[in-house]
Amino acid sequence: MTQILEVKGMTKRFGGLTAVNDVSFVVNEREILSVIGPNGAGKSTLFKLISSFLKPTSGEVTFKGQRISNLAPHISARKGVVRTFQETTIFRNMTVRDNVIIAHHLRSRASLLGYFLGTKTARQDEAAFGSSADEILEFLGLNTIASEVAKNLPHGHLRALGIAIGLATNPTVLLLDEPFAGMNHDETMKAVAMVRKLRDRGLTVLLVEHDMPAVMKISDRIVVLNFGEKIAEGTPTEIQNNAKVIEAYLGVEDEAIGL
Amino acid sequence: MTKNKKILAVAIFLLAVFFVVPLLIGATGRKDFYYTLTSVALLSIASAGVWLTFYIGRINIGQGAYALMGGYVSAVLVMSYGVSFWWTLPIAGILCAIASIAIGFPILRLRGVYFAMVTLVLTEVTRLLALALPITSGAKGITSIPLPGALSIFGVTIVPDFATMENPRIAFYYLAVVLMTLCFAGMYRLVNSRIGHICMSLQQNEELASSIGVNIAYLRIIAYAISSFLGGISGAVFVAATQSVYPSSFTVTDSVNFMLNCFLGGLGYVFGPMLGTLVLYFGWNLLFETGRFQLLIYSTLMIVLMLVLPNGILSLRSLWKKG
Amino acid sequence: MEQVLANGLYLGAQYALIALGLTLIFGLMNVLNFAHGQMYVLGGFITYYVYGQLGLPFVLAVLASGVTLAIIGGFMERYLFRTVIKRSHREESTMLLAAATAFFFDAVILLMFGEKQRGVPKIVKGVFNDFGVILPYDRIVVAIVAAALILGFIAFMKYTKPGRAMRALAQDRVAAQLMGVEVDRYTMIGFALGAMLAGVVGGLLVSITGMNSGIGGPISIKAFMMIMIGGAGVVGGAIAGGFILGMMESVGLTVLREYGDVTYLVIFATLMVFLSIRPNGLMGKPWG
Repeated sequence: MTQILEVKGMTKRFGGLTAVNDVSFVVNEREILSVIGPNGAGKSTLFKLISSFLKPTSGEVTFKGQRISNLAPHISARKGVVRTFQETTIFRNMTVRDNVIIAHHLRSRASLLGYFLGTKTARQDEAAFGSSADEILEFLGLNTIASEVAKNLPHGHLRALGIAIGLATNPTVLLLDEPFAGMNHDETMKAVAMVRKLRDRGLTVLLVEHDMPAVMKISDRIVVLNFGEKIAEGTPTEIQNNAKVIEAYLGVEDEAIGL
Repeated sequence: MTKNKKILAVAIFLLAVFFVVPLLIGATGRKDFYYTLTSVALLSIASAGVWLTFYIGRINIGQGAYALMGGYVSAVLVMSYGVSFWWTLPIAGILCAIASIAIGFPILRLRGVYFAMVTLVLTEVTRLLALALPITSGAKGITSIPLPGALSIFGVTIVPDFATMENPRIAFYYLAVVLMTLCFAGMYRLVNSRIGHICMSLQQNEELASSIGVNIAYLRIIAYAISSFLGGISGAVFVAATQSVYPSSFTVTDSVNFMLNCFLGGLGYVFGPMLGTLVLYFGWNLLFETGRFQLLIYSTLMIVLMLVLPNGILSLRSLWKKG
Repeated sequence: MEQVLANGLYLGAQYALIALGLTLIFGLMNVLNFAHGQMYVLGGFITYYVYGQLGLPFVLAVLASGVTLAIIGGFMERYLFRTVIKRSHREESTMLLAAATAFFFDAVILLMFGEKQRGVPKIVKGVFNDFGVILPYDRIVVAIVAAALILGFIAFMKYTKPGRAMRALAQDRVAAQLMGVEVDRYTMIGFALGAMLAGVVGGLLVSITGMNSGIGGPISIKAFMMIMIGGAGVVGGAIAGGFILGMMESVGLTVLREYGDVTYLVIFATLMVFLSIRPNGLMGKPWG
């Protein structure tokens, strides 16, 4: 297994509050790694740090050996580390298909001026984006609603759209922020299958989640945070039997942590 | 609107502006309308610039600064360096764009009211600079600017020397209208192209735009530069038409008006600034008859309009479509 | 040196009051009250009329200014801004309304009071001349009144029910609503209060520098600058901004006098640089 992303000594302080404290772990290529922890453990902050939306107080993130934690978010995305959003953030007033098409921005070969003038390269780009978008929509089962306006979509489809937008950038590592939130069992199973398909497509997936059964089902490895620190790392089985993890989740029903 | 309807609309517009209006003016003898409409056209170009900054999510109340800058650049080049007016046009625009890049760098990251307030201050600063710098001749401004000379390309005279014309006002009118048409054609194309979609994405959700690889800072500066370019050109032609420029030629009030033109027309519509400028400027002029009540009636009407159509005049279109 | 300081403090107190009104309105409604300067002017003219023309006591006149502007402010929020905010797609639409109201005020003021500079008899005669400072007594009185009002305002916001309600609203509208704060009522009170402050300062200052109908706009711009410096939506920011601008003006006018209008140019330039480093002013709340 080759290492593709490494988080080293990541620390983030907001004024007096330490949200993330000296967290380190590696992510291997084509692995599905989940970051879990009780509420307020620092998972979202860690995500923002990895995708360069926040700058670390100390520590770094390297991707394929190159430091990305000090780059601007759009450059990180360009390198291949792309994030989807917890708030199912999409371009509300555009159609599903247009959402995905516009997300192909990173694959543009024409310049901005080219797009304005409608040069040949620009038109080729647009055609390529169109077919790529169609392929992605079909891959995620969104092709039937391709012309729906995004803000009218139900939650499940919004999540899928968020992932579709992420895929359009042709990422190497995709960071999914709570992809299963608010879903019932059936929806979750479908989403789990979708995440597996992402890995089959060649992506490495890093996800933050609360839904334990789903996490246990889909993850190759799990990292557990509590109060901003890493308290455990390992396979689902190892994590389920880890005393510290159980203690962190104390008071939560056994079923909820997959036991 | 279908493609054919669009083409028809454009044709009607061009016809109206280039033929019908001059005809009507000739018939009614209201030659002063030339000046009014020239102003409307030029001001709508400046307003279009402001509209573009709105498009990337910023409230720009500083366009007056660039109009003033452009005006002075043109005036100084013509008077002190004997440069032909036609050359000063693009030069004024480009210099304004360059200035705006330098200014935009620190301020474009400000958002909402903070950005608005800084731009408001910008107009004042430009006025003070115009008063203080020697090159702009201070408070007495630059006057007696000669009319534009002939414009010829490869020996073919496209536009004759303005001084030889019986009524240069008509020529200025056509110039303004041509520029306005070009400006809005460009804006229309911009908005409907990929760039437009990217700008919209910036408006809707900056973080998401970043995550799909859009270089937000870069895009903002480009939009602001184009906006200021338009302001500069508008100012340059204005100064040529009035043949003078003073530090008070464009003030904070003008900057506010450019913004208002956009609002009134409707921020969601490319042609909003054109319509807004027409209504506000014409409205103001028509109300001149009311004497000392001009401002009162004007502002009351504006308030009423805001209450009834808070999203601008063109929002009637969507209401229409629904009903 | 002491003179500069004294002038700065005097100006600062007035400016802080103006800025407080503006920042209150902004904090509550995310609206930049373009008409703030005009409200100041109207307040001044009302005091001019009641005290200068009718000969009634100065205190009554200033009170009249405050109350009138408060009523106007409440009316504006209730019937104008509330309607537009509800129905518009973009938050910035209120700017057009605000600008229109500023024009309206300008028109009314011009019609009612004309273009002439107006003044009123001094409220206190005599000049303080000691410690190297020359300051007319009336300025001192006005400065003290202003300072008292500032403290009163802070106390009001901190300890009274309406004050706390408004602070809650300014911090987090939705949360405040969920906690049972009557959004509509307190927004209206807030706007009225902001307008009142502007009117009161106008009333106070007409006795010192007089008033004319054209200064509404420039005062609004000055108020904006104070907010930019100190930060919008925060009481401390308004006070800081007001005093800083007052100080800068005092220093500039004395030190840079030979160079004419350069004072404001310098202030602007410094402001732009400052804002690049601290986009939200000294303590402002971020937009949006």
